[in-house]
Amino acid sequence: MHARLPDRPGRKKAQVSASAELELMQAHRRELDEVARKSGALVTGVADANAFTAAMEGQRPTDLLPDCKTVFVLGGAQPRAGDWKSPSYRHMETTSTSDRVTAMGNRVAQHIERKCGYYAVTIPPGVDRARRPFLNIALAAELAGCGSPSLAGPVLHPEHGFMYYTAVLTTLPLPVDGPLAEPVCPAPECVSMWNEAGTTPCMATCPIDEGGCLGGRIEDGRLKERRYDVARCTTRVHTTFIPGFQKALEAVFDEPEKEKRKMILYSTQFTRTLWSMSYSNVSQGQCFECMRVCPVGSKQRSLR
Amino acid sequence: MGFYFVDTELYHRHKEAVLAMSQAIQINYPEHLPPEKRQPGFSDRQIAEKLGLEERVVREIRCVAEREFYPVDEWERALEFKDRACKGFAENGVAFSTKKYIDRAKAAKASIKG
Repeated sequence: MHARLPDRPGRKKAQVSASAELELMQAHRRELDEVARKSGALVTGVADANAFTAAMEGQRPTDLLPDCKTVFVLGGAQPRAGDWKSPSYRHMETTSTSDRVTAMGNRVAQHIERKCGYYAVTIPPGVDRARRPFLNIALAAELAGCGSPSLAGPVLHPEHGFMYYTAVLTTLPLPVDGPLAEPVCPAPECVSMWNEAGTTPCMATCPIDEGGCLGGRIEDGRLKERRYDVARCTTRVHTTFIPGFQKALEAVFDEPEKEKRKMILYSTQFTRTLWSMSYSNVSQGQCFECMRVCPVGSKQRSLR
Repeated sequence: MGFYFVDTELYHRHKEAVLAMSQAIQINYPEHLPPEKRQPGFSDRQIAEKLGLEERVVREIRCVAEREFYPVDEWERALEFKDRACKGFAENGVAFSTKKYIDRAKAAKASIKG
C-alpha cells in the first residue's frame, strides 16, 4: 500500500469471511456502477485481470499495474442519432472522440482510490512510443461482457451497438462478469442478407476485395472467418490525424519544386490535418462507414 | 541504429518478417474465436529475440513499415470513400451499399431458373 493512500476497509479483506468478502465486493461494484452512470456511462462490466491471454505481451493489465485484480470497463459517449444521419462525414470526424469516456473512467479511478483504498489506473486513450495501445481495450470490453467483437472490428453492445470504451485497472477485487454467452455479431438481419446475397451491410460498404477493409464468411449464423485490412483502415480512420500528417510531410520533402511544396503545405488537406492534430491528446476515429450501416443498435438511432 | 532512425538496409532486410510476426498488417483476424483460442502477435521484444535484433530496432522497423505500407494515394482514396459512403447512406440508407449485391444475387437466381 502506498504511504499516501489512506487506510480503508479494502485493506482489511483478510479479516473478513468469504461471504462477507463477496458482499463487500458486490457493494463496491454497486458503488462503481453508480459513479459510472452518474458520469454518463451507458454500460459497465468487470473483467478478470488474468483473462487477457489473447492480448499481446505488454498490453495486459498486469503489464501496467502488476497487482491488478480486475478491470472495470465503462462504455458510452456514442455519437448522437442525428450525427449518424448527417451527409457530412467530417462532422463525426470532429465530434466523435474517446475523451468523454476516458473522463468517466478517471472519475471511477478516483473513487476507487479515495473511497475504497485500492490502486486504480485509467487507461490512456492514445498509444505508447511503440504506437501500441496501453491496453487492448476492445478485449477488455469483451471480457467484461459489455459486448462482443464484430466483423467490422468494434465491440458491439447487444442493445446499443457501437460505443466508446475505457478501462480502469485496479487492485480492488470485484465480481467478474465475463464475456457474453452469445455473440452480438452477426445480427439476424446480417445473417439473412448473407444467406440471400453473400454479404452483410458492413462488408458491402467497405468490401476488402474491392479496395475496402472488410471481408468474412458466415456459417450456421456465426462468423467463421474475418478478413480485415488494418493498414487500409488506418488510412480511413486517421486520414487527417498523425498518420495523415506523416504522409503529407513525406510528400512535401519529396517535392523538389518550392511552389508545389507550398501548394501541399497550404492545401485544404494539410490544413485539416493540423486542425485534427490539435486534438491529439485523444483518440480520434474518422471513419464510421461500417458502423453507420450496422443494424446492431439501429433502433436506438431511429428517431423522428 | 542512429538516434532517430534505423539503418535503411537493416529496415529493408527485416521489415516483412517484422510485419508478419507482429500481425501489424494482417488480413485474417481471429476475433470470431473465443478469446482463449486466439493467438496474439509477437511483441517487439519477442520479435527481437527471434531475429537477433535489439528491441528498439524492431520497434522502429515496425512503426516505419506500418506507415509506409500504403502510398499517399490510398489516403486520397479514403477521403473519396468516406464522402461517397456517408452521402449515399444519408440519401438511400443501407441500400446504397447493399443493393448491388442483392440485385446481383437475384439475377444469378433468375438465370439459374431461366
